[in-house]
Amino acid sequence: MAVQDRDSDEDRTEVLTLDELIATTTDPEPAPAEPSGPTPGGWVARVAVGLVLAWAVLCYPTNVLSPFTVGGVEANAVSEAVIFAVIGLSLNVLIGYVGTISLGHQAFVGIGAFTSAYVVTEMGQEFFIAALVASLVGAAQAALLGAVSLRVTGLYFGLITLSYGIMTQESIFQIESLTGGTAGQAAPRPLGFESDFRYYYLCLLVLALVVFIDWRLMATKGGRALLALRENPRVAATWGINVKAYTVLAFAVSGLFAGLGGALLAHRDLNVVANPFDFRLALVFIMMTVIGGLRNRAGVVAGAAFFALLRNGELLELLRVADVFAKPPISLTAEVMPLVLGPVLLLLTITLFPGGFGQLTSTVGRWLRGGPFRFVKADKEVQITDVRA
Amino acid sequence: MSAPDLQPERTTLLETDGISIRFGGVQALNDVNLRVDEWEIVGIIGPNGAGKTTLFNCITGFYAPTAGRVRYRGQDVTDLPVHKRANLGMGRTFQNVGLVKGSTAGENLKTAQHLEVDYDPLAGIFGSPRTFDVERHTTDRARAILDLMGLAHLEHTRVQGLPYGVLKRLELAAVLATDPDILLLDEPGSGMGPEEAEELGDLLLQLREEFELTIVMIDHHVPLVTRISDYVYCLNFGEVLAEGLPDDVRRHPEVVRAYLGDEATDDSEEVA
Repeated sequence: MAVQDRDSDEDRTEVLTLDELIATTTDPEPAPAEPSGPTPGGWVARVAVGLVLAWAVLCYPTNVLSPFTVGGVEANAVSEAVIFAVIGLSLNVLIGYVGTISLGHQAFVGIGAFTSAYVVTEMGQEFFIAALVASLVGAAQAALLGAVSLRVTGLYFGLITLSYGIMTQESIFQIESLTGGTAGQAAPRPLGFESDFRYYYLCLLVLALVVFIDWRLMATKGGRALLALRENPRVAATWGINVKAYTVLAFAVSGLFAGLGGALLAHRDLNVVANPFDFRLALVFIMMTVIGGLRNRAGVVAGAAFFALLRNGELLELLRVADVFAKPPISLTAEVMPLVLGPVLLLLTITLFPGGFGQLTSTVGRWLRGGPFRFVKADKEVQITDVRA
Repeated sequence: MSAPDLQPERTTLLETDGISIRFGGVQALNDVNLRVDEWEIVGIIGPNGAGKTTLFNCITGFYAPTAGRVRYRGQDVTDLPVHKRANLGMGRTFQNVGLVKGSTAGENLKTAQHLEVDYDPLAGIFGSPRTFDVERHTTDRARAILDLMGLAHLEHTRVQGLPYGVLKRLELAAVLATDPDILLLDEPGSGMGPEEAEELGDLLLQLREEFELTIVMIDHHVPLVTRISDYVYCLNFGEVLAEGLPDDVRRHPEVVRAYLGDEATDDSEEVA
């Protein structure tokens, strides 16, 4: 062992600091048994699939640079998929990283939407300033709720978030000067992004930004602190982590994302009304996040996109089954599909596929990077302990 | 190895001044005075339920004592929260292994370096370029400490499911990563056989040299405690039953009675 080796040096009296230790520790890392990489044909397949995926995201929804024209897809619906992904990542911070829950996320998003619309319409500011204000307001209100979470946990905290969402719906969203009453608050799009398909790219850019922030959060001390305090706050504290401060920080980050998502949603619709921001929306948000796969960025994005497209009828349209569901005897509108299909998928996720969509995205992602195509197994244990009781 | 004499001027590092704590009707600790000098290894023994871990919880800040003060480097830390005491240099391990089980060993050691990682969490979130460099350094440090503890092969292994002995060692590695001045070890030798305990004793003595550590350890392995400790306290029913040099405490009649009378543990004969 390294300690004993160094101790044989009898003359050494001074104490090694950790940094010196690093300098003296040689790490001739044995190269891990490299699994034989894919064949040239395999690489061609990977590049092809990668291109198709890139095309599906970047070109298909807007018919840009597409070799053939595919109709029937509405850019606004796909924008919603991207915006939902932002909101999903927001909830993932709370449920996945902190291990708490928000059943009132429609309020987080709605506050962002109304703030942004108000700043643009009533205060005459640029969209980008409005979006920034909306995310900051979102962060601030979430931080307040985070402070509450320090005192109340488990089921009762869930109850508080649930009532917070409904309280916001019934109070803040009813303030006429802020929300423009039943007519709603106008929310024009920024210059250069007026058309639906350009706005879609703006949404993609914001999603990229949020993914970047989320990635850096989890790759640095803040994210590590969150994972530690979620699992074992006592140990986190002995390692010098300020459990309270980091919990509030996580709420603020979640609120930031949600506020941003709300702003995007407002300007996509050009007009914000209070109606859509009700509890059923919060339920969809939670289901899409958990079914997407907690702590799995790509999974959450996929789950959110799935639910948004399901909600808009795009998915059923694409699969050519829209009629089956819309006609009697089933007679379900696309709008309620997430609430009907969601619970089933949620149950499947919790019992059989704890990694959710993330298990699929990880499988494909690993294959695309040159790994073998093998179904990624998620560990059951971590997922079930997610929401702290 | 006996107490080293290369430290002429000894300052008191940690001191508890009449610590008492009550849980409902139970007096868990009663007027406990503990003194730990720099560079010392202090052992705390005593039967189960004597209040040893409770004392640790008071020292590290998990419990607020009903009476008494905790002083660290002369500073009254009684009202400081746990993470601030960690910041002052207190490192601690837990009886039931204090690790983040869902993460890998490497991740655990990076998390434990929280205070050493020199940037604001917000800088990390918004991708400040400096954080990338610091992160690389953090990873290197984690690797170096794992290597030092002979655990380098576990860097990318999830902690969950590792054998108990390995977990104990990894926990020690993690607490070293916090760069502590004083280590409070809660039963580091639990679940170990005599040879392993012997090895652990060597390791602790070496770590003290390597990192200039002061160590307070709770353990039931009386031979281990008496071998490496400079001073020993024996607790029973929340009170200090005896204190002094290891061999004196081991032979102290009250201590012998406490061990033999209350619980006939494996250690009882060795106490006598």
